[in-house]
Amino acid sequence: MFKAISKQFLLLLFLTTSLSYSFAQDASADGDVATGEKLFKNNCAQCHATGDAVVVGPGLKGIEERRDYAWLKKWINNPAAVIASGDKYAVDLYEKYNKTQMTAFQSFGDPEIKSILAYVKSANEAAAAAPAGEVAGANDSGTQEAGGGKFFNIVMVSLLVIMVLVLFALIAVLGLLNKLSNKNADAGPEKSFVENLKNIFATAIGNKTIRNAIIWLFLLLGSKATFDGLYGIGVHQGYAPTQPIAFSHKLHAGEMEINCAYCHTGVYKGKQAGIPSSNICMNCHNTIKRESPEIQKIYTAIENDQPVEWVRVHNLPDLAYFNHSQHTNVAGLDCENCHGQINKMEVVEQRHSLTMGWCIDCHRQTDVNSKGNAYYDALLEAHNNVSGDPMKVEDIGGLECARCHY
Amino acid sequence: MTKNNKNNALLFGLSILLFVLGSCNNPNRTGIEFAPNMYNSRAYEAQTQWRSNSINPHGMNMREPVAGTVSRRKYNTDFMQDDSSMVHDLMMYDIPKDSIEMAGRLLTNPIPWSESVEEEGKVLYERNCQHCHGTGGAGDGKVAEYYKGVPNYSSDALKNIPGGHIYWVITNGKGRMWSHASQVLPEERWKIVHYVQRLQLGS
Repeated sequence: MFKAISKQFLLLLFLTTSLSYSFAQDASADGDVATGEKLFKNNCAQCHATGDAVVVGPGLKGIEERRDYAWLKKWINNPAAVIASGDKYAVDLYEKYNKTQMTAFQSFGDPEIKSILAYVKSANEAAAAAPAGEVAGANDSGTQEAGGGKFFNIVMVSLLVIMVLVLFALIAVLGLLNKLSNKNADAGPEKSFVENLKNIFATAIGNKTIRNAIIWLFLLLGSKATFDGLYGIGVHQGYAPTQPIAFSHKLHAGEMEINCAYCHTGVYKGKQAGIPSSNICMNCHNTIKRESPEIQKIYTAIENDQPVEWVRVHNLPDLAYFNHSQHTNVAGLDCENCHGQINKMEVVEQRHSLTMGWCIDCHRQTDVNSKGNAYYDALLEAHNNVSGDPMKVEDIGGLECARCHY
Repeated sequence: MTKNNKNNALLFGLSILLFVLGSCNNPNRTGIEFAPNMYNSRAYEAQTQWRSNSINPHGMNMREPVAGTVSRRKYNTDFMQDDSSMVHDLMMYDIPKDSIEMAGRLLTNPIPWSESVEEEGKVLYERNCQHCHGTGGAGDGKVAEYYKGVPNYSSDALKNIPGGHIYWVITNGKGRMWSHASQVLPEERWKIVHYVQRLQLGS
């Protein structure tokens, strides 16, 4: 009797589990993986990974075991309503992920959702099928990289050793030659190497021609350095001060391709390009690399209401007027024209001299960007009446003293 | 002869000194300055700080505006239309910060669409949005790889979002995106809206 009941119970258990299993399978089994992949990449991948990883929202691995299909559909179609209904799981989820609410996908019906679930499942199966090889490959590349650094060091050290050996060999040969010549001339007492060297110097300095040649060489080099130095007075070319925060333009403007005007907001609008306020840094760094000590300096500055004291690199003298917007917005020049390749600089350096001659060279050579700018119409007409050449900045008063000095 | 030698030695020493002086190159120094009173402004200038300012906090030339100052710029909402009639638009400032639905329903773009306006919007998009939202608005900009959660404009949830909603998001931020009101003027935001609406159509 008892046996029979237990048998029945087992059968029932088996049936229910297999049923529920097949029911759980249903959702993803119905869907088309290819459609799902497209939908997932278009709509979900920005915030969800197919695996365990948390991107913005939770990873979707095993989502069908965690929640049943009906709940998932309700959630995808209107997450706000599910949270508002007081569903405990939904509220916990909302709290856990910094109260960031998922976008509602109201247009998604059963076929879409099922295809996405099918894709998530197949992506996880594919990932489970080939994990070992990938991990091994990753390790390999890691050790190789470290090995590369070591190899470079070994090459450098061995080069150094070879050079020292060559130096010793040369000195030995010199000594031998000296000995031979001395023996040939007169078989006097053997002199040490240092004494020989002293002798050589003494004869060289004693020789008037050599002495004068050396003095003239230094005089010429010295006067060149003097003139270079005099011309360099007030020219800050090569100035690359250490900034309070080790901000890399190479990373931000180069690799991340952030436009200059995103941070230097005034560059197309005003005289000054401007230094970004901390809130612009925080547009990205509220999330990215928050724990970095350099980023923490910005956080400290904001908390203490202290300005970050950046060091100005490009600084024209007060006696010359310069306006960014005239050059960027009206003339349409690129920032690189005057600032060099900032997007390749780890520390910003003044690449050009920014002297008056440098300004004027450009004003002589550059055509006025008069396209689509009615301000230049009359000037262009007047210019074309007397000249066949294109209108340069020089032709409209770009070399007048008072254009910049007033 | 001795006098000549002395002169020679003097010249020699002098040239070495100049050579050393000329070749010292410290990237942290601007080099020799002559008549700095012609170079450094006596008046206080923005973005130039060559001496500490004794009046302002932190010794800076810049000052924060007086508390309660209203930025006039934000009220610059008059736009010229093609037939040179003016649109006076103040409505957007009545939309509260938490009413994104209302913004989408009530705000309409005061700048009429034209090819040149969309082109301007594209330039502004490239300057202010592209590094996250990507060239085609697919949320695949270089920064998005690290920032995460940047949506695709042409995704099913966003492709029908109205212009007022987009304007509100630029102004106040949404989800992980923060407010860009300090960087992008209202007029520029509406131009960007025109271009984003082009991107919503997808490729």
